[in-house]
Amino acid sequence: MGNKQPISIRQSILVPTLVIVSLSLIIVTSLMFFGFQNSTTEIVESSSKEINKQIILNFENYLNSVIDTADYIQEKTIEYGLRDDNDSLFDIYAQAADVQPDIESIVLIDIAGNQIITSTFKDISEDDITQKEWYIDAITDSSIYHFSSPHPQDIFTVSRTEVITVTKMVDYYISGEEYRGILVVDINISNIITLTETTNLGEDGHIVILNDDDSLIYSNNDECDTDQCTSVQIARDIIFGGKSVDINDTSFYANVNTLRNTRWRMATFINTDILESSRIQAILIMGSVLIGTLLVSIVVSSLISRRISSPISKLKNHMAKIEQGDFYQKIEIDGQREVIALTHSFNVMIEDIRRLMDKVVEEQKSKRRTEFQALQNQINPHFLYNTLDSIVYLSENEMNDKVIKMVIALSRFFRISISRGKAIILLKEELEHAKNYLLIQQIRYNDKFSYEFIVDDSVLDYHVVKLSLQPLIENAIVHGVNTEYSEGHVIIRAFKKEQSLILEVEDDGFGITNEQIQEIFDNINGEVKNKSIGLKNVYQRLKIYYGDEADFEIESELDEKTIVRLIIPIKGAL
Amino acid sequence: MKKISAVMLLLVFLLTGCQTNSSEIPLILYNEVDPYILEFKDNIFKYSKDVLDIKSYDSQNSQLLQNEIIENVLEDNPSVLIINPVDRLGAYTIIDKVKEDDIPIIFINREPLKKDMNSWTKLYYIGAPAENSAILQSEMIHEIFGSPNDMTKYDLNGDNIIQLVLLKGEQGHQDAEIRSEVVIEELENIGYELDILSIEICDWQEEIAKNHVDELMKNIDQTIELVISNNDAMAIGAVESLLESGLFEDTNEDGYYDKETEPWIPVIGIDGIQEAFSYIDNGLLYGTVINDSEEMSKALIELVDLLQKGEDISNYSYEITNDKYIWIDYKKYEKENGAE
Repeated sequence: MGNKQPISIRQSILVPTLVIVSLSLIIVTSLMFFGFQNSTTEIVESSSKEINKQIILNFENYLNSVIDTADYIQEKTIEYGLRDDNDSLFDIYAQAADVQPDIESIVLIDIAGNQIITSTFKDISEDDITQKEWYIDAITDSSIYHFSSPHPQDIFTVSRTEVITVTKMVDYYISGEEYRGILVVDINISNIITLTETTNLGEDGHIVILNDDDSLIYSNNDECDTDQCTSVQIARDIIFGGKSVDINDTSFYANVNTLRNTRWRMATFINTDILESSRIQAILIMGSVLIGTLLVSIVVSSLISRRISSPISKLKNHMAKIEQGDFYQKIEIDGQREVIALTHSFNVMIEDIRRLMDKVVEEQKSKRRTEFQALQNQINPHFLYNTLDSIVYLSENEMNDKVIKMVIALSRFFRISISRGKAIILLKEELEHAKNYLLIQQIRYNDKFSYEFIVDDSVLDYHVVKLSLQPLIENAIVHGVNTEYSEGHVIIRAFKKEQSLILEVEDDGFGITNEQIQEIFDNINGEVKNKSIGLKNVYQRLKIYYGDEADFEIESELDEKTIVRLIIPIKGAL
Repeated sequence: MKKISAVMLLLVFLLTGCQTNSSEIPLILYNEVDPYILEFKDNIFKYSKDVLDIKSYDSQNSQLLQNEIIENVLEDNPSVLIINPVDRLGAYTIIDKVKEDDIPIIFINREPLKKDMNSWTKLYYIGAPAENSAILQSEMIHEIFGSPNDMTKYDLNGDNIIQLVLLKGEQGHQDAEIRSEVVIEELENIGYELDILSIEICDWQEEIAKNHVDELMKNIDQTIELVISNNDAMAIGAVESLLESGLFEDTNEDGYYDKETEPWIPVIGIDGIQEAFSYIDNGLLYGTVINDSEEMSKALIELVDLLQKGEDISNYSYEITNDKYIWIDYKKYEKENGAE
């Protein structure tokens, strides 16, 4: 749980930026969308209401014009009646009906249903007028105009035009006598149809006119020919006012209002699908703006974060190389000022480190040189002591030849050992040195062993580390020559093999076991102390001088021979 | 902490304020341009000052606007609605709508149709019985003409028939119809013989009345002995015209038209608007019938108060006819008993 992966610079820039940007974008666009939705709903509502008002006003104006005509007729009927001039009234009725073409007829009837004055020459129907619905309406409330449902004209015998009958109880005078009668104005429904058709309610938008008992008076919707149609039901439920409704999957804004001076209510159904489509459009636009802006901000912020983080991650990669030990790189990174400064400091720092390291290497080298010198100087003092002891013995026994031989050999041996302080000498000098050493030892060991040099002439002028053969020969004589039983034989070889100079010292002693070889190597690698000092000394000097390419091998066959081999790279020996 | 609890309290107050019944009573008038309605409104506010919180709305003579106002005030769920309908024929829709919310309605000034008023129990109408205004008018006419068989000097041509002109309000308006019809009926019932020279339809307006009477005076050859008007404004218009035609004359120039000594004919109005009183004071208008908006306001406020508190209607100090109608009668106003 606690082992959380720390986040990168890039993530820590990218994630908060994206979160902030997308949150604010979503908030802003949703606010905008809801604002837009509310305002469009409001606009649709208010414009629907305005359209409804306009339609209602148109209808009211029309109905008022009918009422005005009827009022005018009523006024004139009284005026002429009071003057007892009812004969002139026919002209007034006829004119009024003419002026408004949608007025089919204006008829004054008495309570019994008999015609008093008429605007036409048509014969009044022989039906019982008092049974007509419009007649009954008129006498139930004398104070108002009554508007009937559309019906075929039935006041005359012949006409069958679809009309609305407007009736009202009125007074009229004949010879100064006041009578109650009914004014019957038939208006052609065509004008109402025209009025509904000229209004723009959108596709499938329609009008429903209801009577006060909620029965259908008129609708221009083909589906609405009975009281049961959806629009009529909706208009009934609303009573008056506005509401959004769905009819047959089309959304409408329904407005219901009363028509003044009538008992009618008119419902307008205005198609608002266009609002729906504009809303969808708005969603699409806002959605694409949202996504587009998000994408842009993702790209921009990832670019910015990359710009910031990439020099740092480059620096990180360089750092990783340095961890692996590569100090010889110079970092060139373009980027922000801070990164450049960082790079500069970094370069200065590795410069310093490198210098320090070089210094350390230098110090190590000189330390090794000192060590090397010290190792070289360790010539076994016992050798000198034993040799001098041998010379004394020879002199006492007056073996002067051997004394001379030995002193000369010893003197050469030391001349080469000293070599004017040089650490590196020619191979032939080293071989000479070895020969003198063998000569001295041969005399000391009383010729118990013989020796032999097998040297390739081409290698004589190679350079080798001084005193690298003598310890091996000493080792071969001490361990390899069996002085008790037989004569030993030591072979010294020098030759070139591939890119290496090979120096071998072979003896024919008992040989040594692999365990012993391992022991020797453990020793010379410093893991066991104080044994085979000579070999260890040679080995260490080889490694110090020639590096890892120089090598040291021991090869042995028990009771046969032992070969100790130095492998020196040619380039180190030139 | 105090701050937080104060804010919480405010929030709770606001929230509950929105939910409970609004104590505000909407008064929805048909048209504030009508001087009588303005007077009515002033009286309502005068008498409701310490009792109720009334807010008035002007329908500007548009039923559409009135419907919108009603829709809006219903959202506040008022305890009572006071409505002066624009179109009394359309009042049934208002009743149907408000019935759904079970809010009592008190109609004023314009009376819905009887069948609409009977469609629900919680409906009230406060108004004047239109016939009575005409009956009072006929009483005043009776006073000045004395007796049908032996008329006073105001039967100018002495034929024992009253030659009269009737100024009618809006054609088809309930009050205009009833007032016109009843005043003639009543006079005939008393026994007067009438000669209606003309019925002029002047839509309640002074200007139209003056023009119509001007026109009438040009064409008429008979003597006008009486002008009956459906309201004061038209009566004043007629007086202005008759002044120009010389039917009134201030011969002694004392600023008072004396019906006893100077040329004068009776002109009678209805409503009792302020302007009418000054015409009556200087003798130009014989009398008017006060449509008592002050008394109606008192009756209205008391009724609203009862309904709002949910108290028993039987405690109401006004008589309720058919559980719905509160009739506030008209009052005569003429020079002789001007103090009434």
